[in-house]
Amino acid sequence: MNGQIGVYVCECGPNIKDRIDIDKVLEDISSLENVKVAKRFPLLCSNDGKKFLEEEIVKEELTHLVVAACSPREHEQTFMTVCKQAGLNPYLFQLINIREQCAWMIPDKEQATAKAIQYIRAGIQRVAFHRPLEPKEIDSIPDVCVIGGGISGLETSLSLAGKDRRVYLVEKTDSLGGMAGKLSKLLPYQGSELSSVEAKIKQAQDNANIEIFTSSEVSDVRGFLGNFDITISSHGESSEARKIQAGAVVVATGFGLYDPGNDSQYGLGQIDNVITALEFEEMLGKDKLLLKSGKPPKSVALIHCIGRKELGYCSKVCCLYSIKFAHRLKDMSSDMDVTELYMDLCLPHKSDQAYFDEAKEKGIRFIRSGEDVFVKNKGTQIEVEYDRDGQKDSITVDMVVLAPAMVPSEGTTSLAEMLNIPLDKTGFFKEIHEILDPISTPIEGVYIAGCAVGPRNIPESIVQSQAASGKILSSLIPGKKIKPEVKVSEIREDFCTGCQTCLSICFYGAISYDPIKDVSVVNEVICRGCGSCVGSCPSGAIRSKHFTYPQLYREVLEALR
Amino acid sequence: MSKAVKIQQSTEDGLRSFFESLLQNKTVKGIFTLRKTNDEGGISYALITDVEDLKNAVPLYPQMPTNAGKILSDFTLLEPIQEPVAAVLRPCELRAFTELVKRNHGNLDNVLLISLTCGGVLSLKSLRGGNGTKDLSSYWESVGKADLAPDIRETCNTCVQFIPQNADMVIATVGQKDMDKECTIFATTPKGEEYAQAAPGSTVSEEMENEKTQALMDKRSEQKATSLETFKNNQSGLKALIKTFAPCLGCHGCRQVCPICLCHLCDFDSKTLEYQPVNVRSELNQKGGLKVPPGNIFFHLGRMSHMAVSCVSCGMCSDVCPVNIPVATLFSTVGDALEKVFEYVPGRSLDEPVPEGTYKEQEFVEIGEQ
Amino acid sequence: MNSTHKDDKSEGMAGKILPAEDGITSAIITFLKKSLEEKQLEAVMIPSKIPDTEAWTWLLLQDESLLASCNPLPPVMTVQGGKALSNVTKHGDLHEKVAAVMRPCEVQAAVELLKLKQIDLDNIYLISVDCPGAMPLQDYMADPEKTAKAFEEAFSTWGENESVRPICQICHQFSLPLPQQSAPSDNSPPKNEAKFPAADLHIGLIGGDGTNVFLIPATAKGQDLLDKLDLSAEDSMVNWESKVEEIRERKFNKRKAADAEWKAKTEGVDNLAAVFDDCINCHNCKSACPVCYCQQCYFDSQLLQFSPESYLGRAEKRGSLRFPLDTLLFHVGRMSHMALSCVSCGACEDACPMSIPVGQVFTMMGNKTQDYFAYTPGLDRNEPLPLQIFKEDEFGEVETPREGAEAPAEETEKNV
Repeated sequence: MNGQIGVYVCECGPNIKDRIDIDKVLEDISSLENVKVAKRFPLLCSNDGKKFLEEEIVKEELTHLVVAACSPREHEQTFMTVCKQAGLNPYLFQLINIREQCAWMIPDKEQATAKAIQYIRAGIQRVAFHRPLEPKEIDSIPDVCVIGGGISGLETSLSLAGKDRRVYLVEKTDSLGGMAGKLSKLLPYQGSELSSVEAKIKQAQDNANIEIFTSSEVSDVRGFLGNFDITISSHGESSEARKIQAGAVVVATGFGLYDPGNDSQYGLGQIDNVITALEFEEMLGKDKLLLKSGKPPKSVALIHCIGRKELGYCSKVCCLYSIKFAHRLKDMSSDMDVTELYMDLCLPHKSDQAYFDEAKEKGIRFIRSGEDVFVKNKGTQIEVEYDRDGQKDSITVDMVVLAPAMVPSEGTTSLAEMLNIPLDKTGFFKEIHEILDPISTPIEGVYIAGCAVGPRNIPESIVQSQAASGKILSSLIPGKKIKPEVKVSEIREDFCTGCQTCLSICFYGAISYDPIKDVSVVNEVICRGCGSCVGSCPSGAIRSKHFTYPQLYREVLEALR
Repeated sequence: MSKAVKIQQSTEDGLRSFFESLLQNKTVKGIFTLRKTNDEGGISYALITDVEDLKNAVPLYPQMPTNAGKILSDFTLLEPIQEPVAAVLRPCELRAFTELVKRNHGNLDNVLLISLTCGGVLSLKSLRGGNGTKDLSSYWESVGKADLAPDIRETCNTCVQFIPQNADMVIATVGQKDMDKECTIFATTPKGEEYAQAAPGSTVSEEMENEKTQALMDKRSEQKATSLETFKNNQSGLKALIKTFAPCLGCHGCRQVCPICLCHLCDFDSKTLEYQPVNVRSELNQKGGLKVPPGNIFFHLGRMSHMAVSCVSCGMCSDVCPVNIPVATLFSTVGDALEKVFEYVPGRSLDEPVPEGTYKEQEFVEIGEQ
Repeated sequence: MNSTHKDDKSEGMAGKILPAEDGITSAIITFLKKSLEEKQLEAVMIPSKIPDTEAWTWLLLQDESLLASCNPLPPVMTVQGGKALSNVTKHGDLHEKVAAVMRPCEVQAAVELLKLKQIDLDNIYLISVDCPGAMPLQDYMADPEKTAKAFEEAFSTWGENESVRPICQICHQFSLPLPQQSAPSDNSPPKNEAKFPAADLHIGLIGGDGTNVFLIPATAKGQDLLDKLDLSAEDSMVNWESKVEEIRERKFNKRKAADAEWKAKTEGVDNLAAVFDDCINCHNCKSACPVCYCQQCYFDSQLLQFSPESYLGRAEKRGSLRFPLDTLLFHVGRMSHMALSCVSCGACEDACPMSIPVGQVFTMMGNKTQDYFAYTPGLDRNEPLPLQIFKEDEFGEVETPREGAEAPAEETEKNV
C-alpha cells in the first residue's frame, strides 16, 4: 500500500493529556512503516486545531488521516469536513476513540497508554484499506401523496397545501370525511359543531394545490424518498389508472370497527334494538332515535370494551363517546334510564373526568361489569346479564348500544405490502417507536398518521397529521437534493447468481432484481447499510462499503496482536 | 560434490531428530510436513510447532493429499511469514510453489525449503481408509534400488524432475539402500548449510546425482517416451478427446487441486461462459442434440491453454477425478510440448519469467509463418 | 426467470398404460419418440450413452434418432439431473417444450433450484421414473459391465437391493410422492410427506410385472400431455400404489435407522473429524451438489484467507495445525447453507475421491434440520425456503432452553 498516513493525537485539554503518555504513543506510532507523520495537538476540534489539520493534510501530502481523540459521535463529522476542505476524501479517515474508551475509563496511565497504542495501530491498519466513497445527490420531488380522506388525511393535506405543496389525496369511498365525518356531534370540548369536519372538507375541495381522487385506491408504489412513482386506480367501469410522482407518502387510512359476529354474547344481528355505536351516531344525526317498533327508547344500556379482550388492546375513545351518548340521551329526555357497563374506564384528558362526573350527576349509572356481559331477549325488551364481583345481576332495557373496538381498516395488509412497511401484532401500521417516533416507518418518506396507527381520538390524529406534514416540509424541500446514506451495500455482479435471498431478507426493500443481468441490485438511496444482506448471501457476493472484509480483518488482527 | 549431513538413524527417524533440534533450538518456529492424524487414519500436511508432536510427523510418506506448493502459496498469500519455518516438499511441489511465487501468489521469505530425491507418490485411491497401517515395504524397496515403484501415480512414473533444483536442503531417498540405518541430507544452498549445523550428524561430501539416480532417470525417461507414443497414437485429435472426456462430470476438481490454477474465480465457473437460452437453442437446432452440461472439452482445452506451460506434472488432477480420467497424463504431455516450444521449464528458476508475461518480437514462428 | 407459480395438481389420477413387450426402456423411448413426432414435445432431456464408451451423459435432443442410445435409468447418476437442467435454463426459458426425464431426487433438486431462482421450468415437463437406486459411480468406472449387470438385478429386488448406493438404500422418495388425500386427524402438518407432486408426469414401473409401464399424470400439465397422445387408459393404479406404499414404508424405516446410526457416528467434534479424516478439501462434493449454486463458494473465497501469523499463532496454540485448514468448517458450513435443501441424491458421495460417506452424513443432517422447520425440499413448489421467511416464533428447541436440558459437553481441541 503506497499510503502516506498521518496520525494526530489530540490532548483534549487535560482529558487525554493527563491520562495517557502521548509522547510514548507518538514514539510507537512513528515507527510504523506506512505512517508518514505522527504529531500531537492541544485541541483538534477547535478552530486552530481544524486549521492545523487542514494544513498538515496538504503539506504532508497525506493519503489517509487518522485522528486519535474523542468519540466519533462527537467529532467524526467535524474532521470529515476538515478532510473535504483539504481535498482529501472524507472516507479516507478514521477517528480512534482514546478518550471515552481509554483515558476516561482506565485509571492506570501505563495501561491506558498501552490500550491507546493498540487501538491506534488497529485503526491505522483499517484505514489503509479504506476506499474513497462519494456521497450521492439526487433530485427530490416536493409533492406528497396522502392515502385516506378522513380527518387525518384532510388535516395533512391542508397543512401541506398551505405551504404550497402539491398534494394528491386518495380516498377509497365516494366521499371525504371518513369516520369523523359520520359523527353527529363531536365531544363538547372538541368544538361542538360537525361543521368543523365539513369545513375541512370544503377547504380541501377549494384548495387548488390539492387534487382529490375519490372512489380510488393506490394500486402500485415504486421508488423511494423523493422519488415515488404511484399508480392511482379508480373503481367503476371506466377504471382508469393515473400515474403520479411524489416525494413522500402519508398513510391516513383510519380504522374499521370490530365485528363480534352473529352468534356472540352481545346479540348483535340477532336481537332487535342491539346496535353499534356507529349506527347510534347515524340515528342521532338524523334525529331519529327509534326502536324497531317505531317508538323512542326509554331505557338504554351502553356496553363498552367490545372486543377488547379478544384483540388485547383498549380503543381509548369508546368510553368518552359512550359518555357523550349518555349525555345526549339525557338531553333528549331527563327520564331516560341510561346505564353504562364497562371493564375499565379510560378518561385520560384534561376535561374527561369532569365530563364523567357530570354524567353521574345526571343519574347515568356506571357499572363495572367485567367481561362476562350477556345480552338476551326478554319479550319486547332486552335483558343484559352481567357478573359483578362474583354476583350475577341483570338490567332490562329497550336498547343496547355496543362500543366496538377499533380495528385496522380494510386493505391495511395489502397497502403495507405495497409500501413495504410493517404492521404490528395488532394489525395496525407499525410506527418506528411507539413513544419516541410515533409517525415514521422504516421506509424513508413514508409516514403514518391517525387511527391507521392505532386507536386515538381526533385531537391526537390532528397532531399526528401536522407532525407528518411538518416532517415532510422540513425534509423534502423544493429544489433540495437528497443525500442518501453512503456506507451502503454493494453487490459484486460477477459473483451474484440472482437467487434473491438478499431480496427476501432486506427489510427496507432496497434490493431489487434485474432480470436482464440476472443479478440483484442495491438501491443506494433506500439502503440503510444495516448489513443483513451481507450476512444472508451464502457466497459473500454482497459486501458493505466501508465495512469490507479486509478493513475489519486487519483492524481486529492488529488489535489482538 | 555437495555437502551433506549423515545422521546415524533411519532416514525418517533422522529427519525427526533434525526437526526436533530445529524446534528446540528455536531456529525455526514450525515444521511444515506430512503428519498422521491418528493411528488408523488420514495423512495430511501440517505445521508442527510442538516438539512432542513430531512423533506424528511422517515426512516421507508417499502420499500427496494436496500439492504442498499450493498450501504454501495460500499460507504466504497475504504477506510473507515473519518468522522462520521449515517446509518439506516434493520436487514438483517446490516447482509449483516457485511458479506461484513468480505470479505474486506466495512469498519465499523465511521459508527453509527442504525437498527430497523423489520416488513418487501412491495414488490417493490406493490409500483410502487405513492409510496409517498400509504396508509400504515394496515401495521403499523399489526406491532404495532406484527402480520404478509400483502403484505410483502415472505422472510420477514418467517424471524426470525427481531431483529438486531450488531447495535449500535435499533428503536423499532414491538409490539409498540403507534408509533404515542412515539419513542423508544434502545442503544445497548457503542457507541450507547454515541450518544443517543443527542436524545431529556428521558432515560429508557426496554426489547428489550418482549412477543410481541416473539409473532411475533412464527408466523414467523410457516410460516418458512410451507414454508420449501412446498419447500420440490414442489421444490426439478431437475424437480421441471426446472419448477421453466422455465420463467427465464437470466437477472441476482437477482445477480445484491444481497448484497452478490460482484464479479466485475461474473463468469457466464465471458467468461469462454460462449458456444463455439462445446459445442452447441454436446449438440444439444446428446439431439436433446437445450434451448437458455443455462446454466440457472447452473447459479442459481452455484450462490447458491457461496453465499447461507451467504444469509441474504433480498428478493431483488425475487423483481427484471421480471418473478416472487421465487428466494429468494428458496435461503433462501437452505441457511438456509447450514448454519445449517456449524453452521454459516451470520451477527451474525464480528469475525465469513466465512465458505469457513476456514479449519477444520473434517467437513461436512455427505458427506465425505461412 | 419464472417465479414459483400456483401449483395445478390434478384431483384424480387418470393414468395410461404403456405396453412394454420389448422391455421398459424401449417402451419409454417409444413414448418419447411419439411425443416428439406428434409435436407434443419439441425436445427431450434424457441420459444417453456416449458412443464407443461406457460413459453416460445428459443429452438435450430434438433429433429422434439420438434416442437410440438413451435410457431414462442408467446404472449411475453422473451429473445430477436438476443441476444439468439448471445449466441450460439458468438464464431463462428455452421457449421449446422440453420433457426432462429424471430420477425422483433429480426432479426434487430441480424444484429446489426453482425456489433459488437458478432454473426455469416454464415449458419443461418434469417426468420422473420409479427408481431402484443407482450404483456407486466408482464401482461403475472400475468395472462397467459387472456393475451394469448388478444394476439390472435391482429392478427385481426392489427396495431390498444392497448393491445400490447406501444412500439409495434408505431413499423413500423413489417413486412419485402421492398427493395428500386427506388431512391427518390431529391437524398437524405431516413431516417428510409430500403435499404436492413435484413432477408433471411419473412413469411407474413397480407392480407392472415387466410387461407394462404406467404413465401417471401428477399435474394438469402432465395430464394435458398424456391426453393428447393416443394410448390406452388404465383403469386402476391400485396395484402400483399399494406396492409403492409397501416399499416406501420399509425404506422410510430404514432411513430412520440410518439417521440414528449416523447421528451416533458423528456425535461430537472428535467423531465428526474421524469421519472426515481422509478429506483432502478438493470440494468435489460441493461442485457435484445440485443445490450448491453459488457462483463462488464462500469457502473458496478470499473471506477465508488469513495472514501467516494467524496460521502460525493457531499452530503454536495447538502444537500443530492441519493443512488445508478448516476441513470441518467447510463441511459444517456447507451443511448450514444447504442442509434444508438436501434431496439426498448422493452426487456428493459419488464425486468424493476419498470415498467419504458425505451423502449419508448430509442426509442425516438434512433430515434433522428439515424436521425442525417442517420443511420437505423439492416437493411443493409453493413451499417457501425457510431461510427466506421470517416467523416470530420459530425453532423453539434452540431459542428457548428445554427444561432439564443437559449442559453442553466439554470442548475438545481437535487439530482439524
